Amino acid sequence: MTTEVLWWIFAVGVVGTAAGVVLSRTVVHSAIFLILSLAGVGAMYLFLTVEFIALVQFLIYGGAVTVLILLALMLTRMGVAGRPEPVTGAQAPFGALVALALMATLVAVAVATAWPGDLGGSPEAVSIEQIGEALFEHYGAPFIIMAVLLLVAFIGAIAIARQEDGD
Amino acid sequence: MAEHAWMLAAVPAFAFVALTATGRHLPRQGDFVAVLTAAAVFALFFAVLASFLGLGDAAWPVLNSIEWTAIGSFELRMGIAVDQITIVMLAVITTVAFMVNVFSVGYMKGEPRYWWYFAVLQLFVASMLMLVLADNLLLLYIAWEVVGLSSFLLIGHYWERRSAVEAAKKAFVTTRVGDVGLLIGIILLWDATGTFNILDIFHAVEAGAVGETRLFVTMMFILLGAMGKSAQVPFHVWLPDAMEGPTPVSALIHAATMVVAGVYLVARLLPLFESAGGALMVITIVGLVTALFSGAVAFAQTDIKKVLAYSTVSQLGFMFVALGAGLVSAGMFHLFTHAFFKALLFLGAGSVIIGTHHHQEMGQLGGLWRKMPVTAATFLIGSLALAGLFPLAGFWSKDEILHAVDAHRGALVFLLISVASIMTAFYTMRLFVRTFLGKPQDEAIASHTRETGAIMTLPLVFLAILSVIAGLAVFHEVGDALGFPGGFGEFVYLHHPEVFHVDWGLAGFSTALFVLGAFAAGWLYRGGRLDRATALAEWQPRLYELLRRKFYFDELYQALIDRVVLGFSYVVSWFDRFAVNDTGVDGSAAMTGYAGFLLKHLQTGRVPNYALAIAAGVVALTLITLAVGG
Amino acid sequence: MVPLENYLVLSGILFSLGVYGVLARRNAVLVLMSVELMLNAVSLNFVAFAVYLDPGRATGIVFAVFVIAVAAAEVGLALAIVIRLFRNRSTANVDEAATMRW
Repeated sequence: MTTEVLWWIFAVGVVGTAAGVVLSRTVVHSAIFLILSLAGVGAMYLFLTVEFIALVQFLIYGGAVTVLILLALMLTRMGVAGRPEPVTGAQAPFGALVALALMATLVAVAVATAWPGDLGGSPEAVSIEQIGEALFEHYGAPFIIMAVLLLVAFIGAIAIARQEDGD
Repeated sequence: MAEHAWMLAAVPAFAFVALTATGRHLPRQGDFVAVLTAAAVFALFFAVLASFLGLGDAAWPVLNSIEWTAIGSFELRMGIAVDQITIVMLAVITTVAFMVNVFSVGYMKGEPRYWWYFAVLQLFVASMLMLVLADNLLLLYIAWEVVGLSSFLLIGHYWERRSAVEAAKKAFVTTRVGDVGLLIGIILLWDATGTFNILDIFHAVEAGAVGETRLFVTMMFILLGAMGKSAQVPFHVWLPDAMEGPTPVSALIHAATMVVAGVYLVARLLPLFESAGGALMVITIVGLVTALFSGAVAFAQTDIKKVLAYSTVSQLGFMFVALGAGLVSAGMFHLFTHAFFKALLFLGAGSVIIGTHHHQEMGQLGGLWRKMPVTAATFLIGSLALAGLFPLAGFWSKDEILHAVDAHRGALVFLLISVASIMTAFYTMRLFVRTFLGKPQDEAIASHTRETGAIMTLPLVFLAILSVIAGLAVFHEVGDALGFPGGFGEFVYLHHPEVFHVDWGLAGFSTALFVLGAFAAGWLYRGGRLDRATALAEWQPRLYELLRRKFYFDELYQALIDRVVLGFSYVVSWFDRFAVNDTGVDGSAAMTGYAGFLLKHLQTGRVPNYALAIAAGVVALTLITLAVGG
Repeated sequence: MVPLENYLVLSGILFSLGVYGVLARRNAVLVLMSVELMLNAVSLNFVAFAVYLDPGRATGIVFAVFVIAVAAAEVGLALAIVIRLFRNRSTANVDEAATMRW
């Protein structure tokens, strides 16, 4: 019972902060909402008993990604801080329409479908050993490719953002 | 060794690849490669022969095949089958190919594309050998087409000459008409029996897998292919024109080997023709018409090679008649002997052409025996063998055919084939007399005429010897001594081996035919003079014109092509231009262009617009899937 | 306990919010943030499926790990591009990067 109440609190928190991300008028506020929203999703992982993913979520999103985004915001600062500027484009109403339609569809499908093998809300704990086994035994090759991908993206990011002569 | 007879074809095939790739850069443009290849194949043949004979007739035919592909329950095996008919063909092909390769070194000296000529020659030999070795009709058909291709390439060797190009095209198209028939026949046989393997087809047909009417139709299609390749009336038109190719090619392809592929095919499938109702009678009629027709046309030809070409067509007709009588032995024997003396005659003609610096009109020659004694002597032997003088090769094989016709086909066919024999003797002797005897018609040419070198005369001498002795293979004692199971009739047969006995009555009759024809020619063209012949032609100008124009076959075909084919082409071309091109191709292109012109305004260049379109599309697709797929 | 549907609905809402952000926002960094929301929604969906529908095997969880890793790479690259864009055109506004047209 306590869990459910807690879950609902967090769920509302995640949705609320996510809405803040896409609706807030200042960029910095958006970034702060994003941090909170990502942390809320991390909490969702804890409810799902996968502590490992939760940990990864906090570390990578809460730490690295957010810092990166804040840094980018500083480097591409628009106007003077505090001065409200139009952050929403002209096609926002259409975007809202499409997003609402999508949301309706997704929610309808999620509720209406009888999911095969559904345990009815009693998740078994997935141990970190299981995840490690799956990651290194069955998905060894993708894991290595992933490492290469990260390296390539790393080098690529440097190459693109580098200050060149004449810039 | 006999089961590895495929090596016979593999060696020249390899030589073809090697010569094509490097021939141009080799010393002497690689002609020694060609000659060595031909010699190797010739030697290899004897290894195959010895092994084949060593295995004994219980092991015949020698088979060797590999699985080529398997699709479901259908299995395709490709391989070789060596039996007596194959051995005879191998003997002919390897021997003549060797001689022709040697002769070509002299004949083609200084000609353009020397290396390419030898390369294609090897391709021809490889495919021809594959054709006779094939144990299934599919492989045979492939080889059949490659043979046609090399023939096309060699006829058109001097493609700077328009007539050569035309001749090559004509040969290719004409034989292709027959080849389509062959392909249809093969498919029909496969459809009825489920196999391409020749022996399996025999067994299936014996077991009654194919109805008689259907088998008759099928075999008629296959006969079309054989007639096309062997230049039987009405497909004969390509062979005389094929003389545009280099003369050694005429000797090898258009006298000794490729043109007998049709005869070989009929001989190989003779059991099927036998089972197919009146198919044998059709073969006899085709052969008879061809033998008489082209024998007559040969009377009025003035080009040495054209005379020989029509003579070849006529002799192929003889072979068809023999096969039509149901006798593989007689047909194959004539094929065997004819290959040697006809190759000899063609190479002799080649020698004349080189010796006189490219003159081959009889009207410009004459009296050559003084200048070219070796060529003249060997040419005389070849002529007499062709005309059927006792005891040269042609006498024995023609005797066999007369014997077979007498026994199986009745008096009328016998009479007509006798007439064809007289014609053979007549035009052969006419050719010899007008070319080599009498006085030179053109002193300018005669003064430059020289005997050709040893590289060309040695093959002539070798083939002349064969032309004398090849006929003796018919005797039981000769075959026995060489390790064969008796004479030719006891080696190559369909149902029962036949021991040869000299029929003196028939031999006398045959000799009489020869004498009649030869003396008619000798009287008409005595001493190489033309007055009597001219008088004869003027006495019956229409008949002479008919013969000279080859019964107007070319004109008839040309008219047919002009009216029917071109008329149809106009309709097709109109449809192509307006319906396919203007409406279909250009129309759809214009529509695409116009649509693009209109739709390009949707491209705003703003990425968010694109993202909106994608997202809306996803939603739409999801809804459609839900609505339709449930 | 919390049923599976709750997670799916939450994930769907989160994803739709992200889509709206991508479509409506003008600032490239904000667009990127919205993309992160979408990616998080997907990961959450994966993990929920893995835990509820396929217990004992960790396939969906491994997918989430990969999604997070790719997202990290993508953020790094995308921000580099944004910085580049800003440096060349003095704007991070996606509406003004409109050269992809006829």
